[in-house]
Amino acid sequence: MSVAAPARRRSSGRVALLFISPWLIGFAVFMAYPVLYTVYLSLTDYDVINDPTFVGLDNYRELMGDEKVVLAMRNTFVYTAMAVPAQLAISLALALLLQRAGRAAGFFRTAFFLPKMTPPVAVGVLLLLLLNGQSGLVNEFLAWFGIDGPNWTTDAAWVKPGLVLMSLWTVGSSVIILLAALQEVPEELLDAARVDGAGWWKRLWHVVLPIISPAIYFIVVVDTIASLQSFTEAYTAFFGAGNTTYSNDAALFYAIYLFQQAFEFLHMGYASALAMLLFLVVMLVTALQVLLSRRLVHYTGDRA
Amino acid sequence: MRLSQMAVAALAACLLAGCAQGTGDSEETTDVSFDSSAELSGEVEVMGFGAGDEIATVRLDRAEEALGADVDVTLVEGDLDIQQFLSSVASGEPPALVYAERSQIGTFASRGAVVPLTDCIEGEGIDTSVFRESALGEVTFDDEVYGIPEFNVVQLTQANADLLEQSGHTIEDVNGSDWDAVLAANQDLMKVEGNNLTTIGYDSKLPEFLPLWAKANGADLISEDGRTAQLDDPAVVEALEFAVSVYDAQGGFGEVKALRDSADFFGDGNQFASGTLGAMPMEQWYVSVLNDVSPDAPMAFDTVRDLQGEPLAWASGSAWAIPKGSPNPEAACRMARVMTETDSWIAAAEERVRLREESGGLFTGILTANEEADEAVREMAPTDGDSVWSEAVAAMYEANEHTFAMPANPAGDEFEQAWQDEVNKVLNGDKEPAEALADAQATAQEALDEAWASWDEK
Amino acid sequence: MSTLDRAGQVGDTGSPIVPDATAARPTPRPRPQASRPRGRTGRVVVGALLVLFTIAFVYPFVWLVSASLKPRSDVFDNRLIPETLTFDNYIEVWNAAPMAAWLLNTAFVTVMATITVTMSSALVAWGFARYRFRGRNLLFGLVLASMMIPGAATMIPTYLIWDSLGMVGTLTPLWAGNVFGTAFYIFLLRQFFLGLPTELFDAAEMDGAGHWRVFWHIALPLTRPALVVVALFEFQAAWTDLMRGLIYLRDREDFTVPRGLKSMLDQFGFGGEWHWELVVTASVITTVPMIVVFFLGQKQIIQGVASTGTKG
Repeated sequence: MSVAAPARRRSSGRVALLFISPWLIGFAVFMAYPVLYTVYLSLTDYDVINDPTFVGLDNYRELMGDEKVVLAMRNTFVYTAMAVPAQLAISLALALLLQRAGRAAGFFRTAFFLPKMTPPVAVGVLLLLLLNGQSGLVNEFLAWFGIDGPNWTTDAAWVKPGLVLMSLWTVGSSVIILLAALQEVPEELLDAARVDGAGWWKRLWHVVLPIISPAIYFIVVVDTIASLQSFTEAYTAFFGAGNTTYSNDAALFYAIYLFQQAFEFLHMGYASALAMLLFLVVMLVTALQVLLSRRLVHYTGDRA
Repeated sequence: MRLSQMAVAALAACLLAGCAQGTGDSEETTDVSFDSSAELSGEVEVMGFGAGDEIATVRLDRAEEALGADVDVTLVEGDLDIQQFLSSVASGEPPALVYAERSQIGTFASRGAVVPLTDCIEGEGIDTSVFRESALGEVTFDDEVYGIPEFNVVQLTQANADLLEQSGHTIEDVNGSDWDAVLAANQDLMKVEGNNLTTIGYDSKLPEFLPLWAKANGADLISEDGRTAQLDDPAVVEALEFAVSVYDAQGGFGEVKALRDSADFFGDGNQFASGTLGAMPMEQWYVSVLNDVSPDAPMAFDTVRDLQGEPLAWASGSAWAIPKGSPNPEAACRMARVMTETDSWIAAAEERVRLREESGGLFTGILTANEEADEAVREMAPTDGDSVWSEAVAAMYEANEHTFAMPANPAGDEFEQAWQDEVNKVLNGDKEPAEALADAQATAQEALDEAWASWDEK
Repeated sequence: MSTLDRAGQVGDTGSPIVPDATAARPTPRPRPQASRPRGRTGRVVVGALLVLFTIAFVYPFVWLVSASLKPRSDVFDNRLIPETLTFDNYIEVWNAAPMAAWLLNTAFVTVMATITVTMSSALVAWGFARYRFRGRNLLFGLVLASMMIPGAATMIPTYLIWDSLGMVGTLTPLWAGNVFGTAFYIFLLRQFFLGLPTELFDAAEMDGAGHWRVFWHIALPLTRPALVVVALFEFQAAWTDLMRGLIYLRDREDFTVPRGLKSMLDQFGFGGEWHWELVVTASVITTVPMIVVFFLGQKQIIQGVASTGTKG
């Protein structure tokens, strides 16, 4: 009996293909083909209304000299460089607090996670209102401490910090992931450290963080990729049909510029070249992170 | 193996289905004949036009009547979303009729998204001689008209009389005839508490009004034939430097915009009623808004003036156009005719006069691209009364006689984008005016060259 | 922050992973007693910080709801309790926008997206988990690799495909891609299937059950906890998606709620007609269904998210 089963499983390749066929078709039609087709389109001038004309590398040449590409790249990197560490720090702090919350942990956990459920469009709306320089809640709060809050939504220097601040509101899932990791930290190790006279800070730095480093790494990777492609909140708050003359350069993220080129100006060829560049950048950043993780992330047990 | 076969199959299928072909030339509208007496039927979907007030609804009713009972008119509400419009043309399902800014018509025409209206004008008997020359010129390319002009928009100097008086200034100081006077008045009108601006002295309305400031200084952003950008002209740079310095004196554009944004622009908490704005150039329709929501606001009006003290306004406005592949061009054409003909404007104005009398308000006039209609409507508006609102009406008509318009060009949208982007950079403190305008010049000229090249090929 | 496409959104929406059966059928974890603060002061500080952060995280919701109950002129007054309490905005917003149509459209898209992606991902995951065949590892490697492809790289041709099918302007492109499954969900459901005892399925096959029967009647019911997690996450992703709405929807009546909210912001926000009370109210209406979903599926959502980082 027990010999027959694997034999049967081995012979069922056709059945397996049937099961995975939805993905195979989807991959071919909505992944492989589009990626190849984007490469092709990036070599053409195409506005949907008129036939595409082959222009060779013109789009890439134009892209090199496009000031807005540089601006959008810089904005995106600056935002990512601020947002990822800030999100990590806040979610780690919240997770450490939650770990000590005792019986009320469930309640606080819900409170911290809830904003994550807010649709990003609504987050964009809230950003405009709460961070409004004149009458926003955040500046009113700062005024209690005698701080004269900046014009978060209109001062170019403060637009990205404003977006980062708003993004901290939705760190809920990172908090949950870190909390789960913290609960896996073996008590014995902490006790041993305590016996050796290590204080809270030292225990955190030398015992806890190395052990939860896979979770931290995961969050950094995911947040980085998400930040590099950040679109909805900034687009909602600073761009769109009603906002054209006020659109703020400081919030022009790469994904927004790409979207504008493709679907507002119908420069499909040029936008495809922009997409290829983004593809490349995301791949590079991911590869870099994988390399770094080999040195910095501490995996326990038999994990691959 | 299977996978690659599948990918190839998908690729082939898509290529056969024409994934990336132009849709523009697949639709031909050659067998269309326009005739003002023909019976029409079918649907007319209109994009970009909102029936928000009586000026719109009265004319719309007349249009529906002229189209007959067999034609259904549906409006896609809201301002024209260019993306929405172009992609609807691209996918071969455009609306029958589109309502857009006149400056956008050139861009649409050069993309092949709207068709020439020569047959429509002839067949429906649209009298183009009544239209303002500059307005018609804005939508005419190679002697073919691509749009039927509708509203006209001009700017007035609108100011808070109380604040002017308190600071010892008059409306003459803020009408733009003397830039040093504007800057001085700005200093005296603005109020700051702590580090916060609480009252805007003067709002030069950048980036939108750069063309106005440039013209006041004797410069045009674009050559008369619409082919050469002149954004780096020293007079334009000077105008931008002035308009920006107004903001710099108040703590920067961000500070001004934050305060501007927090006011209820269309409500009774507007900047004039709440005393948080000294003066600004603003479109004439805002007079009507103010008269409606805050009739007791302490207002003062004048035209905007150039440095010689002459009245000056930048005329822009909207127009009707028929998209390529329009499913019902005959009905669209007739609708465009009725919406813009003299009698329709008069009927609409009469209705507004009636409604305003009912509510105790004032009729503050309307400006159209139809000169004949404007003359008739002008009779109905009180320009000789003693109230400040009749001063506004008088200023509006005076401004309307001293307008300039952007020359027609096939890259209107891209051109505007180019200078607005760079002005924004100056406002954000990223660039100096001269540098920004030099960059804008390069971008704009490139867009113009490209658009004209493809235009001249046709 | 949200991303170009759901495919690139891997942990962003809180990426659910339920890698093994035990995680989804949780056993109560012993409370980590020892890590509680020892001293009294320590406990007070921790408590105070928790309360402060809670206020910071919950207050924006309260502010939003409160603002939606204020008349137009008071929206910006930052009062917790509205000076004048009014429900007019909720009536007005129905007149100012086809809110009912938007809600229906979004509900339709969300339900279709959720059902299709859950079923198809389960099918594919089962194919990878249960059967051994030539090229399996390669294909599964492709599944994993496809998660890395940014949505931007496929966005334009995808639009052109839907365009050539005449589907632009309809709701279909907002969900129909889901009938092919999503790499991330396939990955996590496969992990779950691998955690189930094989003997169960072998025995059923011995008894003459066909492949489909084993999947549908035995494997799938056992997978319910993981399916619920997938469904909840897709529900959230589909409900809150703005970009597809921007790309594919044209007529106002066809909008989804996020797309509609954006159009209301354009129309009524800064530089528009300044009816913030309507924008704020529409924001509440857009958000409330998500809050409801969260409270209904809280346990599954939190567990789904929790297992992402540690076991993924």
